[in-house]
Amino acid sequence: MLTDEIRALVGQQRVYTAPEPFGAASGRYFGLAIGDDNPLYRDPAFAQEQGLAGVTAPPTLICETNQYSGLPMDAEGYAGHRWGIQIENTREVRGGNAYVFGRRLRPEDVVTATWEITDAVEKTSGSGAAMLIVTSRATYTDQRDEFLAENTETIIFIDLGGQS
Amino acid sequence: MTAQPQVGDTIPPLERTIRLPDMVAYAGATWDWYQSHYDPDYVAAKKLPGPIVDGQVFGALLVEMLQDWLGPQCFVQSIDFTFRNLMFAGESVRCEGEVVAVTDAHVDVTMTVTTLGTDGRPDRFAVKPASARVLLGRADGVGRP
Repeated sequence: MLTDEIRALVGQQRVYTAPEPFGAASGRYFGLAIGDDNPLYRDPAFAQEQGLAGVTAPPTLICETNQYSGLPMDAEGYAGHRWGIQIENTREVRGGNAYVFGRRLRPEDVVTATWEITDAVEKTSGSGAAMLIVTSRATYTDQRDEFLAENTETIIFIDLGGQS
Repeated sequence: MTAQPQVGDTIPPLERTIRLPDMVAYAGATWDWYQSHYDPDYVAAKKLPGPIVDGQVFGALLVEMLQDWLGPQCFVQSIDFTFRNLMFAGESVRCEGEVVAVTDAHVDVTMTVTTLGTDGRPDRFAVKPASARVLLGRADGVGRP
């Protein structure tokens, strides 16, 4: 599964810069969507009492949103970053995520996301199936190149062994 | 705000039922309109039992649990989580955690997300393991760790 073509992907980068500031509504909307009624996302006075400049967004939003990408929707409705890796006779599953945050997002932040494939390794699952594990890292910065957050995620391609 | 955390403390759990309208709202809020997260016909064609909850929402729920527990003067500096099983529209999850290390400046926790059966009892792990470091006594971060 770990072909030369896959190995050649390691180190590749894609960079996306949002066409506008993140905005306060995006954080408030996300809070509503997940059911998190924390006033930090909707009450400027409360946020300022905590020492913030104003409202912020739920911390993980920057790692979950495609807002910055400016990409068109594909045939299945997805409009975010993808590497386009297709491996025949495998099932693609998500392994997990690891986030690191430098500071809270501000409505005026213009986000740049720099995606990079950092690793590709072949392993064998507990049930004996071959797996290809691809690790990517997105680094998010603001319009002054200040670090905002980092998202490391793993995608696993599991060999179906002739099944489909 | 909670008292100073101690090693072995359990975090007040967070439970949430995620219905299809919640998933539609999440898709809008994240600009992620991938059909597997809301389209019953699409997932039926894939022979799945229902629309799949986007796994990254579990990270958001774990952060909500941590912030509800520690109050506004805290900052989640890092969090990681490994997916175990899919969750489907209409199911409920319980987020839980425990303190594993504490200093004056931060608390480290381990966590799980469990999908509940219709009887409200644990059915399967959605996320395990998960861990986080939360800075104490400050509402914002300190830049890149």
